[in-house]
Amino acid sequence: MTAKVTGTMVNYYIHCKRQCWLFSNKLNLEDNSEEVRIGRILHQLKEEKAKKKEVAIDNIKIDKLTPEYLVEIKKSDADLEAVKWQTLYYLYILREKGIDRKGKIEIIDKKKENRKIHYTELTDELVFQLKEIISLIQELIERPIPPLPINKSICKKCAYYTYCYI
Amino acid sequence: MAQSVKYLITMGELKRKDNSLIFRNEKGHRYLPIEGVKEIYCLNEVSLNTKLLDFLAKAQVTMHFFNYYHQYSGTFYPKEQLVSGRLLIQQARLFDEHRIIVAKAIVQGIANNIYSVLYHYYSHGAKELKPLIDWLRKNVPGLLSSSDLKINQVLFIEGTIWKRFYQSFKYFLPETFLMNKRVKRPPDNPMNAMISFGNSLLYAKTITQIYHTHLDQKISFLHDPGEGRFSLSLDLCEVFKPIIVYKTIFELVNHRKIQVGRHFDKELNYCLLNRAGKTAFIKAFDSRINETFQHATLKRKVSYQTAIKLDAYKLIKLCVEGQAFKPFDFREKC
Ligand code: SF4
Repeated sequence: MTAKVTGTMVNYYIHCKRQCWLFSNKLNLEDNSEEVRIGRILHQLKEEKAKKKEVAIDNIKIDKLTPEYLVEIKKSDADLEAVKWQTLYYLYILREKGIDRKGKIEIIDKKKENRKIHYTELTDELVFQLKEIISLIQELIERPIPPLPINKSICKKCAYYTYCYI
Repeated sequence: MAQSVKYLITMGELKRKDNSLIFRNEKGHRYLPIEGVKEIYCLNEVSLNTKLLDFLAKAQVTMHFFNYYHQYSGTFYPKEQLVSGRLLIQQARLFDEHRIIVAKAIVQGIANNIYSVLYHYYSHGAKELKPLIDWLRKNVPGLLSSSDLKINQVLFIEGTIWKRFYQSFKYFLPETFLMNKRVKRPPDNPMNAMISFGNSLLYAKTITQIYHTHLDQKISFLHDPGEGRFSLSLDLCEVFKPIIVYKTIFELVNHRKIQVGRHFDKELNYCLLNRAGKTAFIKAFDSRINETFQHATLKRKVSYQTAIKLDAYKLIKLCVEGQAFKPFDFREKC
């Protein structure tokens, strides 16, 4: 059986293979960080009143779909490369369903109050690379043990930091 | 961030009001925003309703209840959010195949942390402690290293460590606080009252910490699984008892912040902290468990409370990645 790949898994795979393995094997410590927990609680409570705008197709959740764009909204552009591949993955899934869009990544930085926008588009070459990434992810997450920690500076901001380096 | 723990010491009623909690008692009412709250301790009669419990479940707040004797009676344990099928199987397999290894590591951890606590008094003049600290440092590892130990033997070593620890109190505590023996239910003297109360608080604290990991609370290693609904919490809190519960008690006693004549209610068969005693105890306990230190390998500040969760992470790492489990050691602060 091959596991269903999600956009988050693609994002994490680019960011860090260990993160991708841990997350895909349901060791999703992200839920664990206090800020994320509180953020989610407030979000949920607000949602009780206003219904969600997210669009869900299969197992992927899309922030916004306009006639021209699929919009992915992020709070920081810390790892733009990972977000880019995540967005491309969504575009690819949509294309498989006969829906053609371009990708728009909106970075909404709360502190700076400014919006940065990045565009991306699916090309044949990118589809080829994406397919390869997907099969590499499937192979990775079937492994019995996760890859070792990567010892990079991005680890300091990662939700898995304490788990990886304890 | 707002304080993450609420201790309800007086009788009252806890309710949900919009996105806040309200606690009403005879003195009036108090709003507690939910954002920072992670756990609530009900140390007196508190009325609540299902609307409140549903709200706490959404916010993933654990709520602990204590009985009249200040002993733990139960936890509102919201629907588990973090579940990993793979880890559950690995944790069960670890129990089957390597229970003794984990149990020994915990007992060694208890000995190490008792050593740290006693060494402090030894270096401040209690020279009579020398045989005990030597025994803890030199003999206990040897006793535990024998390869064909059964779980009963590991438990016997653990029992001996605690017994010798209790017997050593006479070397550094005032006479009024010495106890003849450890009596649990209900405690019969001031020292037993504080130990019971402190252990119950720490146990509940550990339940909350493990709740925020993927571990299954029912599969334990030192204690028999099923000894309680949260037998893994019984396991993981052990090594923290010397440095959280006992250090709190010794500080309160030696600094005369708790006194036999002023802070206890005594009846014929039992002895309990009174209202002022409870308040003083919780204050000291809470500040100790929230105290932070620079973690040796993580290179960042963590609190002792977080250190409990980190021990749970180490156990996950043993299950998932086979990394050896070494519980928190006060000397190494990791
Ligand atoms: S802390 Fe580093 S190694 Fe661990 S998952 Fe995060 S990025 Fe990967």
